[in-house]
Amino acid sequence: MTAQAQPVLPEDATAPVAVEDTHATTEAAHGGEHESGGLPQFEFQHWFGQIVYLVFLFVVLYFLIARVFAPRMRRVFDERASTISTAIETARQVQAEAAGQAEAAKREVEEARAASRATAAAAKARVTEEANARAAVEEASVAARIAEAETAIAATRDAAMSNVATIASDTAAAIVERLTGKAPTGAEAAAAVKGAA
Amino acid sequence: MADPLHQFQVTPYEWLDFGEVTLPVVGTVHLAFTNSHLAMTIAFVVVVGFLTLVTSGAKVVPGRLQAVGETLFGMIDGMTSSIIGHDGKKYFPFVFTIFLFILGMNLLGMFLSFTATSQLAVTATFGLITFGLVVIIGIVKNGAGFLKLFWPTGAPLVMRPVVGLIEFFSFLLRPITLTLRLFGNMMGGHIALKVFAGFVATAVVGAAGWFGLLIFPLAMGMTIGLTALEFLVAFLQAFVFAVLTCIYLNDVVNLDHAH
Repeated sequence: MTAQAQPVLPEDATAPVAVEDTHATTEAAHGGEHESGGLPQFEFQHWFGQIVYLVFLFVVLYFLIARVFAPRMRRVFDERASTISTAIETARQVQAEAAGQAEAAKREVEEARAASRATAAAAKARVTEEANARAAVEEASVAARIAEAETAIAATRDAAMSNVATIASDTAAAIVERLTGKAPTGAEAAAAVKGAA
Repeated sequence: MADPLHQFQVTPYEWLDFGEVTLPVVGTVHLAFTNSHLAMTIAFVVVVGFLTLVTSGAKVVPGRLQAVGETLFGMIDGMTSSIIGHDGKKYFPFVFTIFLFILGMNLLGMFLSFTATSQLAVTATFGLITFGLVVIIGIVKNGAGFLKLFWPTGAPLVMRPVVGLIEFFSFLLRPITLTLRLFGNMMGGHIALKVFAGFVATAVVGAAGWFGLLIFPLAMGMTIGLTALEFLVAFLQAFVFAVLTCIYLNDVVNLDHAH
C-alpha cells in the first residue's frame, strides 16, 4: 500500500528507489532470499532439513504402526470375527433346535387332529345310528297306528255301507208306499235295491 | 491484499535456528526447526494420538472414534489385499503409514497456517520413499527378473523394445507424478482459498468501496465452497497416493503372475 502511495509524492525521481526499497524489505521480511524468484517451495536450502526430518518421522510412524497399532487393530478385528462366528454358530444351533421343536409340535398337532377327527367320526356314527334306530321305532309305531286307523276307517265305512243299503231299502219302501199306497215288505225292498245296485 | 504465496514460506524459528552449513554432497543447508517441521511434528503427534486413542480401549463393539479408525484401517486393509492380493497384509503397514501421514498433513493444513504437503520437499520425499520401496522390493523379490516389468509380452515382438523403453521411462516418471500430483493439489487449493479469502477481506475493510457489497457475497461463497472442496481434496489425495502405492507395489510383488 505504501508502495502504491509513493508516486503521489512530488519528487518523481526518488520514487522508484523508494519502491525498490519497500519491495526489498518485504522480501527480507519473508525470511529467505528468492533465488529462483518464484515459489517459496523452491528455496532449496530448506529442503535437506525437511527431508531428513520427514524420513525420520516416517520411519518412526511406520514402526509404530507395524509393531503396535496394526497388530492391536488386527486383534480387535479377529476377536470380533470370532465373536460373530460363535454367535452365528450358537444362533444356528438354537435355530435348528427350534426347528426340531416346531417339527415335533407340528407332529403332535397332526396326531391330535387325527385323533379328534376319529372321535368326531365315531360320535357322528353313533349319533346317526341312534337317530336311525329311534326313527325306525317311531316309524313302526306310526305305521301301526296308521294301520289301526285304516282298519277303523274300513269298519266304519263297511258299517256305513250296510246302513246305506238299509236306508235305500227304507227309502225305496217309502217311495213305493207313497206311489202305490201299499207298503212292500222289507225283503222285497232289499231285493229290489240289491238288484238296482 | 496479502501475498497468496506467503503461506508456503518456510521460516525457521529463531531459537532453533542453527544457521547455514555446507555439506559435502547436498551443498548449502539451512539447519533449523522451521514451521514446516512444526507442521510435520503436529501431524505425526495427531496421527499417533489418534491411533493410540483408537486402539488402546478397543472394544468388540466399537465406539465412535474407534469406528472412524476402523473404517480407515479397513479401507486401506481391503485396498492392499484386493490390489496386491495374498501378500497384501505384509505391505499394509507401509501403505497405512503413507496414507495416514499424508491425510494428517493435508487435513491439518485446513486448520493451521502451514500445510506440510504443499512443500515440494515433503511430497518429493513421500514419492521417493514409495518409489524406492517399489524398486527395492522389485529387485529383492525378483532379482534380474525385475526387468521383466518393462518387457511387454502382450505387444508384437518388433514393438517390444520400443514399448519396453516407454514403459521404463514411465516407470521412472512415477515418483515425479506422485510428487507433483499431491504438491499441485495442495498448493493450488490453498492459493485459491487465500485469493478468495483475500477478496473477502478487501470487501470487508472497504478497500473496494461500495463495490465490496457485490464482491463480498460472491467471494465469501467461493471461500466456503472451496473450503469444503479442500477437505475433500485433502482426503482424496491421501487416498490416491495410497492407491497408487498399492498398484506400484502390486506390479513388483506379483511380477510373475500378472505379466
